[in-house]
Amino acid sequence: MYMGMKLIDLVETHAEQIARQWAKNVRKNPFTPYYHGLPDEQLVPQAVVFYEKFRNLFMEPKPVEASEGYFARYAEESYRRGVPLHEALYALILMRRQIWLYAEFQVLFFTAVEQNLAVESITRTILMFDYAVYFISKKYGELMKLEWFEAPNT
Amino acid sequence: MSGSLKLITLIEKHADPIAHSWAKDVRKNARTASYHDMPEEKLVPLAIRFYDNFRKMFYTDKPAETSREFFARYAEEQYTAKIPLHEAIYALILMRRHIWLYAEFQVIFITAVEQKYAVDSLVRTILMFDYAITFMSRRYQELIRGELNDRLALLNMIRLESPLGTRLTPYRTAIMTALLLGSFLLTYYYHAVMGSNVIFTHLFYIPVVLAGIWWKRKGVVMAAVLGIFLILSHLFFLGGTPLTDDIVRAVMFLVIGTVVAFLSEGITTAEEIYRLKAM
Repeated sequence: MYMGMKLIDLVETHAEQIARQWAKNVRKNPFTPYYHGLPDEQLVPQAVVFYEKFRNLFMEPKPVEASEGYFARYAEESYRRGVPLHEALYALILMRRQIWLYAEFQVLFFTAVEQNLAVESITRTILMFDYAVYFISKKYGELMKLEWFEAPNT
Repeated sequence: MSGSLKLITLIEKHADPIAHSWAKDVRKNARTASYHDMPEEKLVPLAIRFYDNFRKMFYTDKPAETSREFFARYAEEQYTAKIPLHEAIYALILMRRHIWLYAEFQVIFITAVEQKYAVDSLVRTILMFDYAITFMSRRYQELIRGELNDRLALLNMIRLESPLGTRLTPYRTAIMTALLLGSFLLTYYYHAVMGSNVIFTHLFYIPVVLAGIWWKRKGVVMAAVLGIFLILSHLFFLGGTPLTDDIVRAVMFLVIGTVVAFLSEGITTAEEIYRLKAM
Protein backbone atom coordinates (compact mmCIF):
# COMPACT_ATOMS: atom_id res chain seq x y z
CA MET A 1 0.00 0.00 0.00
CA TYR A 2 3.08 2.23 0.37
CA MET A 3 3.21 3.08 -3.30
CA GLY A 4 -0.49 3.76 -3.28
CA MET A 5 0.12 6.21 -0.45
CA LYS A 6 2.85 7.88 -2.46
CA LEU A 7 0.43 8.34 -5.33
CA ILE A 8 -2.33 9.63 -3.06
CA ASP A 9 0.02 12.10 -1.39
CA LEU A 10 1.12 13.32 -4.79
CA VAL A 11 -2.46 13.79 -5.94
CA GLU A 12 -3.46 15.60 -2.76
CA THR A 13 -0.49 17.93 -2.57
CA HIS A 14 -0.63 18.79 -6.26
CA ALA A 15 -4.39 18.69 -6.77
CA GLU A 16 -4.48 22.24 -8.08
CA GLN A 17 -1.65 21.76 -10.64
CA ILE A 18 -3.05 18.43 -11.87
CA ALA A 19 -6.51 19.97 -12.12
CA ARG A 20 -5.14 22.86 -14.20
CA GLN A 21 -3.40 20.47 -16.56
CA TRP A 22 -6.61 18.47 -16.86
CA ALA A 23 -8.59 21.63 -17.61
CA LYS A 24 -6.10 22.54 -20.33
CA ASN A 25 -6.37 19.07 -21.80
CA VAL A 26 -10.15 18.80 -21.67
CA ARG A 27 -10.52 22.24 -23.27
CA LYS A 28 -8.73 21.14 -26.42
CA ASN A 29 -9.29 17.39 -26.57
CA PRO A 30 -11.34 16.40 -29.65
CA PHE A 31 -13.32 13.89 -27.56
CA THR A 32 -14.58 16.56 -25.18
CA PRO A 33 -15.92 19.43 -27.35
CA TYR A 34 -18.50 20.38 -24.70
CA TYR A 35 -15.70 21.57 -22.42
CA HIS A 36 -13.92 23.65 -25.07
CA GLY A 37 -15.83 26.81 -24.35
CA LEU A 38 -15.70 26.56 -20.55
CA PRO A 39 -13.37 28.80 -18.55
CA ASP A 40 -10.69 27.45 -16.22
CA GLU A 41 -12.52 28.89 -13.22
CA GLN A 42 -15.41 26.55 -13.91
CA LEU A 43 -13.36 23.47 -14.78
CA VAL A 44 -10.51 23.50 -12.26
CA PRO A 45 -12.64 23.32 -9.07
CA GLN A 46 -14.48 20.31 -10.50
CA ALA A 47 -11.21 18.40 -10.89
CA VAL A 48 -9.81 19.66 -7.59
CA VAL A 49 -12.82 18.21 -5.77
CA PHE A 50 -12.21 14.88 -7.46
CA TYR A 51 -8.49 14.84 -6.64
CA GLU A 52 -9.23 15.76 -3.04
CA LYS A 53 -11.73 12.89 -2.84
CA PHE A 54 -9.19 10.56 -4.41
CA ARG A 55 -7.75 9.38 -1.07
CA ASN A 56 -11.17 8.38 0.28
CA LEU A 57 -12.09 6.54 -2.88
CA PHE A 58 -8.70 4.89 -3.20
CA MET A 59 -8.33 3.73 0.39
CA GLU A 60 -11.92 2.75 0.93
CA PRO A 61 -12.28 -0.91 2.04
CA LYS A 62 -15.66 -0.97 0.28
CA PRO A 63 -14.84 0.81 -2.99
CA VAL A 64 -18.21 0.07 -4.62
CA GLU A 65 -20.34 1.72 -1.96
CA ALA A 66 -17.96 4.63 -1.56
CA SER A 67 -17.75 5.45 -5.24
CA GLU A 68 -21.43 4.97 -6.07
CA GLY A 69 -22.60 8.11 -4.26
CA TYR A 70 -19.77 10.27 -5.50
CA PHE A 71 -19.97 9.27 -9.16
CA ALA A 72 -23.76 9.31 -9.23
CA ARG A 73 -23.50 12.93 -8.10
CA TYR A 74 -20.87 13.62 -10.76
CA ALA A 75 -23.26 12.13 -13.35
CA GLU A 76 -26.16 14.20 -12.09
CA GLU A 77 -24.19 17.45 -12.21
CA SER A 78 -22.86 16.69 -15.69
CA TYR A 79 -26.31 15.74 -16.88
CA ARG A 80 -27.90 18.91 -15.53
CA ARG A 81 -25.23 20.98 -17.24
CA GLY A 82 -26.04 19.21 -20.51
CA VAL A 83 -22.75 17.33 -20.91
CA PRO A 84 -23.19 14.39 -23.29
CA LEU A 85 -22.56 11.05 -21.58
CA HIS A 86 -19.52 10.01 -23.59
CA GLU A 87 -17.89 13.38 -22.96
CA ALA A 88 -18.58 13.21 -19.22
CA LEU A 89 -16.97 9.76 -19.20
CA TYR A 90 -14.00 10.82 -21.27
CA ALA A 91 -13.42 13.90 -19.10
CA LEU A 92 -13.24 11.58 -16.11
CA ILE A 93 -10.87 9.27 -17.96
CA LEU A 94 -8.68 12.29 -18.63
CA MET A 95 -8.71 13.10 -14.90
CA ARG A 96 -7.27 9.66 -14.27
CA ARG A 97 -4.72 9.98 -17.07
CA GLN A 98 -3.62 13.33 -15.76
CA ILE A 99 -2.73 11.71 -12.45
CA TRP A 100 -0.55 9.20 -14.23
CA LEU A 101 1.07 11.77 -16.46
CA TYR A 102 1.89 13.83 -13.40
CA ALA A 103 3.18 10.80 -11.50
CA GLU A 104 5.35 9.86 -14.48
CA PHE A 105 6.62 13.41 -14.74
CA GLN A 106 7.51 13.34 -11.04
CA VAL A 107 9.30 9.99 -11.59
CA LEU A 108 7.21 8.48 -8.85
CA PHE A 109 7.78 4.88 -9.85
CA PHE A 110 11.49 4.68 -10.48
CA THR A 111 13.03 1.53 -9.05
CA ALA A 112 12.18 -2.06 -9.98
CA VAL A 113 10.41 -2.56 -6.66
CA GLU A 114 8.44 0.59 -7.24
CA GLN A 115 7.47 -0.67 -10.68
CA ASN A 116 6.05 -3.73 -9.00
CA LEU A 117 4.05 -1.57 -6.64
CA ALA A 118 3.02 0.64 -9.53
CA VAL A 119 1.09 -2.31 -10.97
CA GLU A 120 -0.85 -2.48 -7.74
CA SER A 121 -1.53 1.24 -7.80
CA ILE A 122 -2.72 1.16 -11.40
CA THR A 123 -4.94 -1.83 -10.75
CA ARG A 124 -6.58 -0.15 -7.78
CA THR A 125 -7.10 3.11 -9.65
CA ILE A 126 -8.56 1.24 -12.60
CA LEU A 127 -10.91 -0.66 -10.32
CA MET A 128 -12.20 2.64 -8.99
CA PHE A 129 -12.71 3.95 -12.51
CA ASP A 130 -14.45 0.79 -13.63
CA TYR A 131 -17.07 1.46 -10.98
CA ALA A 132 -17.13 5.14 -11.91
CA VAL A 133 -17.94 4.39 -15.56
CA TYR A 134 -20.61 1.90 -14.53
CA PHE A 135 -22.29 4.24 -12.05
CA ILE A 136 -22.14 7.27 -14.31
CA SER A 137 -23.64 5.53 -17.34
CA LYS A 138 -26.28 3.94 -15.12
CA LYS A 139 -27.22 7.28 -13.56
CA TYR A 140 -27.43 8.96 -16.97
CA GLY A 141 -29.83 6.24 -18.10
CA GLU A 142 -31.98 6.71 -14.99
CA LEU A 143 -32.05 10.49 -15.41
CA MET A 144 -33.09 10.19 -19.03
CA LYS A 145 -35.91 7.88 -17.99
CA LEU A 146 -37.04 10.32 -15.33
CA GLU A 147 -37.09 13.24 -17.70
CA TRP A 148 -39.30 11.61 -20.23
CA PHE A 149 -41.02 8.39 -21.14
CA GLU A 150 -38.88 5.31 -20.96
CA ALA A 151 -35.94 5.87 -23.23
CA PRO A 152 -35.22 3.19 -25.77
CA ASN A 153 -32.80 0.70 -24.26
CA THR A 154 -31.29 2.70 -21.44
CA MET B 1 7.27 -5.01 -26.06
CA SER B 2 8.15 -8.65 -25.34
CA GLY B 3 6.10 -8.52 -22.12
CA SER B 4 3.06 -7.34 -24.06
CA LEU B 5 3.73 -9.98 -26.68
CA LYS B 6 3.61 -12.58 -23.95
CA LEU B 7 0.24 -11.29 -22.83
CA ILE B 8 -1.15 -11.21 -26.34
CA THR B 9 0.11 -14.71 -27.14
CA LEU B 10 -1.52 -15.91 -23.95
CA ILE B 11 -4.83 -14.28 -24.84
CA GLU B 12 -4.81 -15.69 -28.36
CA LYS B 13 -3.81 -19.13 -27.21
CA HIS B 14 -6.32 -19.25 -24.38
CA ALA B 15 -9.14 -17.18 -25.88
CA ASP B 16 -11.60 -20.01 -25.42
CA PRO B 17 -11.10 -20.70 -21.68
CA ILE B 18 -10.89 -16.96 -20.93
CA ALA B 19 -14.12 -16.38 -22.86
CA HIS B 20 -15.81 -19.22 -20.98
CA SER B 21 -14.80 -17.89 -17.58
CA TRP B 22 -16.00 -14.43 -18.66
CA ALA B 23 -19.36 -15.86 -19.80
CA LYS B 24 -19.75 -17.64 -16.45
CA ASP B 25 -19.00 -14.42 -14.59
CA VAL B 26 -21.25 -12.18 -16.67
CA ARG B 27 -24.12 -14.63 -16.27
CA LYS B 28 -24.12 -14.25 -12.51
CA ASN B 29 -22.62 -10.82 -11.89
CA ALA B 30 -25.05 -8.45 -10.16
CA ARG B 31 -24.10 -5.61 -12.52
CA THR B 32 -24.84 -7.52 -15.70
CA ALA B 33 -28.38 -8.71 -15.02
CA SER B 34 -29.41 -8.64 -18.69
CA TYR B 35 -26.85 -11.35 -19.47
CA HIS B 36 -28.05 -13.75 -16.79
CA ASP B 37 -30.47 -15.58 -19.05
CA MET B 38 -28.25 -15.69 -22.10
CA PRO B 39 -26.85 -19.10 -22.90
CA GLU B 40 -23.09 -19.55 -22.82
CA GLU B 41 -23.12 -20.57 -26.49
CA LYS B 42 -24.29 -17.08 -27.33
CA LEU B 43 -21.93 -15.26 -25.00
CA VAL B 44 -18.67 -17.10 -25.57
CA PRO B 45 -18.31 -16.17 -29.29
CA LEU B 46 -18.77 -12.52 -28.32
CA ALA B 47 -15.78 -12.64 -26.01
CA ILE B 48 -13.73 -14.79 -28.38
CA ARG B 49 -14.18 -12.23 -31.14
CA PHE B 50 -12.95 -9.53 -28.79
CA TYR B 51 -9.94 -11.57 -27.70
CA ASP B 52 -9.16 -12.42 -31.33
CA ASN B 53 -9.13 -8.73 -32.19
CA PHE B 54 -7.07 -7.84 -29.16
CA ARG B 55 -3.68 -8.00 -30.93
CA LYS B 56 -4.82 -5.73 -33.74
CA MET B 57 -6.15 -3.11 -31.33
CA PHE B 58 -3.24 -3.46 -28.94
CA TYR B 59 -0.45 -2.97 -31.46
CA THR B 60 -1.94 -0.39 -33.75
CA ASP B 61 -0.33 3.04 -34.15
CA LYS B 62 -3.80 4.53 -34.28
CA PRO B 63 -5.64 2.95 -31.34
CA ALA B 64 -8.59 5.33 -31.56
CA GLU B 65 -9.35 4.65 -35.22
CA THR B 66 -8.79 0.90 -34.97
CA SER B 67 -10.96 0.40 -31.91
CA ARG B 68 -13.71 2.79 -33.05
CA GLU B 69 -15.08 0.40 -35.66
CA PHE B 70 -14.88 -2.67 -33.46
CA PHE B 71 -16.54 -1.13 -30.43
CA ALA B 72 -19.18 0.70 -32.42
CA ARG B 73 -20.21 -2.65 -33.89
CA TYR B 74 -20.07 -4.25 -30.46
CA ALA B 75 -22.32 -1.47 -29.14
CA GLU B 76 -24.80 -2.01 -31.99
CA GLU B 77 -25.04 -5.72 -31.22
CA GLN B 78 -25.56 -5.11 -27.52
CA TYR B 79 -28.12 -2.43 -28.21
CA THR B 80 -30.03 -4.74 -30.54
CA ALA B 81 -29.94 -7.41 -27.83
CA LYS B 82 -31.62 -4.82 -25.51
CA ILE B 83 -28.69 -4.63 -23.12
CA PRO B 84 -28.60 -1.33 -21.20
CA LEU B 85 -25.45 0.70 -21.80
CA HIS B 86 -24.07 0.45 -18.26
CA GLU B 87 -24.37 -3.33 -18.36
CA ALA B 88 -22.77 -3.57 -21.81
CA ILE B 89 -19.86 -1.46 -20.57
CA TYR B 90 -19.50 -3.50 -17.42
CA ALA B 91 -19.51 -6.73 -19.42
CA LEU B 92 -16.66 -5.29 -21.47
CA ILE B 93 -14.81 -4.30 -18.30
CA LEU B 94 -15.19 -7.89 -17.15
CA MET B 95 -13.66 -9.07 -20.43
CA ARG B 96 -10.58 -7.02 -19.59
CA ARG B 97 -10.53 -8.24 -15.99
CA HIS B 98 -10.65 -11.83 -17.13
CA ILE B 99 -7.56 -11.31 -19.22
CA TRP B 100 -5.78 -10.14 -16.11
CA LEU B 101 -7.19 -12.83 -13.90
CA TYR B 102 -5.96 -15.38 -16.40
CA ALA B 103 -2.63 -13.60 -16.90
CA GLU B 104 -2.11 -13.52 -13.16
CA PHE B 105 -3.08 -17.12 -12.96
CA GLN B 106 -0.55 -18.00 -15.61
CA VAL B 107 2.09 -15.89 -13.82
CA ILE B 108 3.46 -14.39 -17.00
CA PHE B 109 4.92 -11.32 -15.34
CA ILE B 110 7.11 -12.95 -12.80
CA THR B 111 10.52 -11.27 -12.84
CA ALA B 112 11.27 -7.66 -11.93
CA VAL B 113 11.87 -6.76 -15.57
CA GLU B 114 8.62 -8.40 -16.52
CA GLN B 115 6.86 -6.28 -13.90
CA LYS B 116 7.95 -3.24 -15.90
CA TYR B 117 6.42 -4.81 -18.98
CA ALA B 118 3.32 -5.49 -16.94
CA VAL B 119 2.95 -1.76 -16.32
CA ASP B 120 3.30 -1.06 -20.04
CA SER B 121 0.77 -3.76 -20.89
CA LEU B 122 -1.66 -2.47 -18.31
CA VAL B 123 -1.39 1.10 -19.53
CA ARG B 124 -1.85 0.09 -23.16
CA THR B 125 -4.80 -2.15 -22.39
CA ILE B 126 -6.40 0.62 -20.36
CA LEU B 127 -5.93 3.06 -23.22
CA MET B 128 -7.79 0.69 -25.52
CA PHE B 129 -10.62 0.39 -23.02
CA ASP B 130 -10.82 4.14 -22.54
CA TYR B 131 -11.59 4.41 -26.25
CA ALA B 132 -13.94 1.44 -26.03
CA ILE B 133 -16.05 3.11 -23.35
CA THR B 134 -16.15 6.39 -25.24
CA PHE B 135 -17.08 4.84 -28.58
CA MET B 136 -19.63 2.53 -27.04
CA SER B 137 -21.43 5.23 -25.10
CA ARG B 138 -21.41 7.52 -28.15
CA ARG B 139 -22.76 4.79 -30.43
CA TYR B 140 -25.46 3.85 -27.93
CA GLN B 141 -26.63 7.43 -27.76
CA GLU B 142 -26.67 7.66 -31.55
CA LEU B 143 -28.78 4.52 -31.67
CA ILE B 144 -31.16 5.82 -28.98
CA ARG B 145 -31.53 9.05 -30.93
CA GLY B 146 -32.16 7.11 -34.15
CA GLU B 147 -34.80 4.94 -32.51
CA LEU B 148 -36.42 8.00 -31.04
CA ASN B 149 -36.54 9.67 -34.43
CA ASP B 150 -38.14 6.55 -35.88
CA ARG B 151 -40.73 6.44 -33.12
CA LEU B 152 -41.52 10.09 -33.64
CA ALA B 153 -41.53 9.90 -37.44
CA LEU B 154 -45.30 10.29 -37.85
CA LEU B 155 -45.49 13.00 -35.23
CA ASN B 156 -42.60 14.83 -36.85
CA MET B 157 -44.42 14.71 -40.16
CA ILE B 158 -47.44 16.39 -38.56
CA ARG B 159 -45.13 18.86 -36.85
CA LEU B 160 -43.52 19.64 -40.20
CA GLU B 161 -40.21 19.13 -38.51
CA SER B 162 -37.14 17.00 -38.93
CA PRO B 163 -36.42 15.50 -41.38
CA LEU B 164 -39.00 17.35 -43.48
CA GLY B 165 -39.23 20.31 -41.16
CA THR B 166 -36.48 22.50 -42.50
CA ARG B 167 -38.23 22.80 -45.82
CA LEU B 168 -41.85 22.74 -44.67
CA THR B 169 -41.81 24.94 -41.57
CA PRO B 170 -42.62 28.15 -43.52
CA TYR B 171 -45.76 26.44 -44.78
CA ARG B 172 -47.18 26.29 -41.26
CA THR B 173 -48.38 29.88 -41.43
CA ALA B 174 -49.92 29.34 -44.85
CA ILE B 175 -51.71 26.16 -43.76
CA MET B 176 -52.94 27.78 -40.54
CA THR B 177 -54.20 30.87 -42.42
CA ALA B 178 -56.12 28.63 -44.82
CA LEU B 179 -57.60 26.63 -41.93
CA LEU B 180 -58.60 29.79 -40.07
CA LEU B 181 -60.23 31.25 -43.16
CA GLY B 182 -62.02 27.94 -43.73
CA SER B 183 -63.25 27.98 -40.11
CA PHE B 184 -64.50 31.57 -40.44
CA LEU B 185 -66.32 30.80 -43.67
CA LEU B 186 -67.84 27.66 -42.22
CA THR B 187 -69.05 29.57 -39.17
CA TYR B 188 -70.50 32.30 -41.36
CA TYR B 189 -72.19 29.75 -43.62
CA TYR B 190 -73.81 27.82 -40.76
CA HIS B 191 -74.71 30.81 -38.59
CA ALA B 192 -75.67 33.40 -41.22
CA VAL B 193 -76.89 31.32 -44.16
CA MET B 194 -78.24 28.15 -42.53
CA GLY B 195 -79.20 29.80 -39.24
CA SER B 196 -78.02 26.63 -37.52
CA ASN B 197 -75.71 25.75 -34.67
CA VAL B 198 -74.95 22.14 -35.66
CA ILE B 199 -71.75 20.37 -34.75
CA PHE B 200 -69.58 21.79 -37.55
CA THR B 201 -67.31 23.23 -34.83
CA HIS B 202 -65.69 19.79 -34.40
CA LEU B 203 -63.69 20.68 -37.49
CA PHE B 204 -62.18 23.59 -35.52
CA TYR B 205 -60.15 21.09 -33.54
CA ILE B 206 -57.91 20.61 -36.58
CA PRO B 207 -56.44 24.15 -36.45
CA VAL B 208 -56.57 24.12 -32.61
CA VAL B 209 -54.52 20.91 -32.36
CA LEU B 210 -52.12 21.86 -35.16
CA ALA B 211 -51.49 25.29 -33.62
CA GLY B 212 -50.74 23.64 -30.26
CA ILE B 213 -48.34 21.21 -31.91
CA TRP B 214 -46.57 23.81 -34.00
CA TRP B 215 -46.41 26.85 -31.74
CA LYS B 216 -47.00 25.28 -28.34
CA ARG B 217 -48.29 27.79 -25.76
CA LYS B 218 -48.40 30.56 -28.35
CA GLY B 219 -50.66 28.27 -30.37
CA VAL B 220 -53.36 28.57 -27.68
CA VAL B 221 -54.00 32.04 -29.15
CA MET B 222 -55.52 30.29 -32.20
CA ALA B 223 -57.94 28.41 -29.95
CA ALA B 224 -58.88 31.71 -28.29
CA VAL B 225 -59.36 33.45 -31.66
CA LEU B 226 -61.62 30.65 -32.92
CA GLY B 227 -63.60 30.58 -29.67
CA ILE B 228 -64.11 34.36 -29.64
CA PHE B 229 -65.09 34.34 -33.31
CA LEU B 230 -67.60 31.56 -32.69
CA ILE B 231 -69.22 33.45 -29.79
CA LEU B 232 -69.27 36.78 -31.66
CA SER B 233 -70.74 35.11 -34.73
CA HIS B 234 -73.38 33.47 -32.56
CA LEU B 235 -74.30 36.80 -30.92
CA PHE B 236 -74.43 38.50 -34.31
CA PHE B 237 -76.31 35.93 -36.37
CA LEU B 238 -78.09 33.72 -33.84
CA GLY B 239 -79.00 36.33 -31.28
CA GLY B 240 -82.22 34.69 -30.17
CA THR B 241 -80.83 31.23 -29.36
CA PRO B 242 -79.01 30.17 -26.17
CA LEU B 243 -75.27 30.86 -26.16
CA THR B 244 -74.34 28.12 -23.67
CA ASP B 245 -73.35 25.48 -26.25
CA ASP B 246 -70.94 27.77 -28.06
CA ILE B 247 -69.42 28.98 -24.80
CA VAL B 248 -68.77 25.35 -23.85
CA ARG B 249 -67.26 24.76 -27.31
CA ALA B 250 -65.01 27.82 -26.99
CA VAL B 251 -63.82 26.68 -23.55
CA MET B 252 -63.11 23.22 -24.97
CA PHE B 253 -61.01 24.77 -27.74
CA LEU B 254 -58.89 26.43 -25.05
CA VAL B 255 -58.64 23.26 -22.96
CA ILE B 256 -57.65 21.07 -25.91
CA GLY B 257 -55.28 23.71 -27.29
CA THR B 258 -53.56 24.03 -23.90
CA VAL B 259 -53.25 20.26 -23.39
CA VAL B 260 -51.80 19.79 -26.87
CA ALA B 261 -49.42 22.73 -26.33
CA PHE B 262 -48.09 21.20 -23.10
CA LEU B 263 -47.73 17.79 -24.73
CA SER B 264 -45.89 19.33 -27.64
CA GLU B 265 -43.59 21.21 -25.27
CA GLY B 266 -42.91 17.97 -23.42
CA ILE B 267 -41.98 16.18 -26.62
CA THR B 268 -39.71 19.02 -27.70
CA THR B 269 -37.99 19.07 -24.30
CA ALA B 270 -37.49 15.32 -24.43
CA GLU B 271 -36.07 15.59 -27.92
CA GLU B 272 -33.67 18.28 -26.78
CA ILE B 273 -32.59 16.09 -23.89
CA TYR B 274 -31.84 13.26 -26.26
CA ARG B 275 -30.20 15.44 -28.88
CA LEU B 276 -28.06 17.03 -26.20
CA LYS B 277 -27.23 13.96 -24.21
CA ALA B 278 -27.11 11.79 -27.27
CA MET B 279 -24.71 14.11 -28.82
